[in-house]
Amino acid sequence: MKQAGERLTIWYSWTCGLILTAAVFSILVYLLFKGAGAFHPKLIFGDVSPLKAVLLQQRVFDGLFPAVVGTLMLVSLSVSIALPIGFATGIYLAEYADFRIKNAFNLIFDILAGIPSIVVGLFGFALAVFLHKHYSSSIQPCLLISGLALAFLVLPYIIRTTQIALESLSPEIRLTALALGATKLQNLVYVLLPQSLTGMISGVILAIGRCAEDTAVIMLTGVVVAAGVPKSVFAPYEALPFYIYYISSQYTTPEELMNGYGAALLLLLLCLFLFALAFVIKKRLSYLAFYRP
Amino acid sequence: MNTTLPDNTKIRVADLNFFYRERRILQDLTVHFAEHSITALIGPSGAGKSTFLITLNRLWENLPEARMSGKVEITLGGLRRDIYQEAFPVTELRRRVGMVFQTPNPLPMSIYKNVAFPLKMAGGTDQKEMRRKVEQTLKMAYLWEEVKDRMNDDARKLSGGQQQRLCIARALVLEPEVLLMDEPTSSLDSTATEVIEGLLLELRKHLTILVVSHYLDQVKRVADRVVSFEEGAIVSS
Repeated sequence: MKQAGERLTIWYSWTCGLILTAAVFSILVYLLFKGAGAFHPKLIFGDVSPLKAVLLQQRVFDGLFPAVVGTLMLVSLSVSIALPIGFATGIYLAEYADFRIKNAFNLIFDILAGIPSIVVGLFGFALAVFLHKHYSSSIQPCLLISGLALAFLVLPYIIRTTQIALESLSPEIRLTALALGATKLQNLVYVLLPQSLTGMISGVILAIGRCAEDTAVIMLTGVVVAAGVPKSVFAPYEALPFYIYYISSQYTTPEELMNGYGAALLLLLLCLFLFALAFVIKKRLSYLAFYRP
Repeated sequence: MNTTLPDNTKIRVADLNFFYRERRILQDLTVHFAEHSITALIGPSGAGKSTFLITLNRLWENLPEARMSGKVEITLGGLRRDIYQEAFPVTELRRRVGMVFQTPNPLPMSIYKNVAFPLKMAGGTDQKEMRRKVEQTLKMAYLWEEVKDRMNDDARKLSGGQQQRLCIARALVLEPEVLLMDEPTSSLDSTATEVIEGLLLELRKHLTILVVSHYLDQVKRVADRVVSFEEGAIVSS
């Protein structure tokens, strides 16, 4: 009986793993199959020469270039707002907060993590309306409002992964530098944080993915169908997930739908590029921590 | 205070009690340790030997739910200091009272950076001076010849015995006056143990050493004095 149960557990685990892997691969293959046809420089740059488009000399009307730029700007903006706050909060909770404060904050951040993105989007929209009414009528839903709202959305991931990465370090490694006369801050900077980099980067990757794919928040806070490359963070912008959403609900010709698949593929590649960037930065930081004289 | 104590007393512990989660680990310890001597702390596991060591460098303050009462005085730089006094910075204490743990704990850095680490934490910036000190301490720990050509290698790639000598070198690089060792040879083979025991006898010239040990033959070989713990109290010394 006991043996049968054990074997069943193993089988079950294997099946779950296989199904998940198969699911990931079928999505990828499906996208490649459907989108590869549209995957062409023309998809991104339309009829404009790529060089002129990248140098912003000529505006791209019938390509995804503005959406790619918009998504990249949005991700960088929201991640750079969320990272310092998230890291600092995670470090505080893991290393400095006392028992009761920690419990209270953990609860609050769990609630924050559970807020649906559409609600965060609504809040961002309300903020834009409030600022428009009470401060300056030139304020409108824009890249900055979206960036702030998205940062708010991904903060719990970054906080939690940072906190867990630090808390899971062994007591031995925690005490080593302290026993050698390091201050608490030195211990954190020279030993604990370098040791937690892998965990912290996984939070960053989660955050990047979330910012790149979220549609609900940006729909309400500044994304539009045709805005071109945004001139500043106070301007509306285009984004890939919104384009995918828009085209899949409004397409009129098979070519348009194909462009939608192409855009989905492009979004995946963009995420892959951002993940790779995060990994390179992590490697570089570990190298520095290791060999810094 | 007892005025008949000889002048060479290095560490004075009085009425020390230690609690972990309301459980009493050490009770009413009063004990003294002489300068330039090796004292072996023996006794069954759980008797409080390791805990006693970390009351001498205040490392227990970094453990949650621990509590202590009593007085610890150590003569550092010729002055008798109450190490729990607010005015005495804990980092300075730990720079003068070094500690070596049961399992070698090299930091995830190169060999050089491991030994230079305490110097850097103490604010050292002179690279040349740091290199000189690292070399000198590695020689003292009988490790220099084995590592001098690969100072930039990962310290965790060294053998267990080498790692432990590295940790001893690291604890010595700030020239402490007291060295606390928690079963420093328990994870090592007999050859590595022999090297470290020889090292201890050599270090006694400059240092006051307290070593927790489970091995009676080791105690006989190196210790000037034996303090025996049982259930958080000293039963003989």
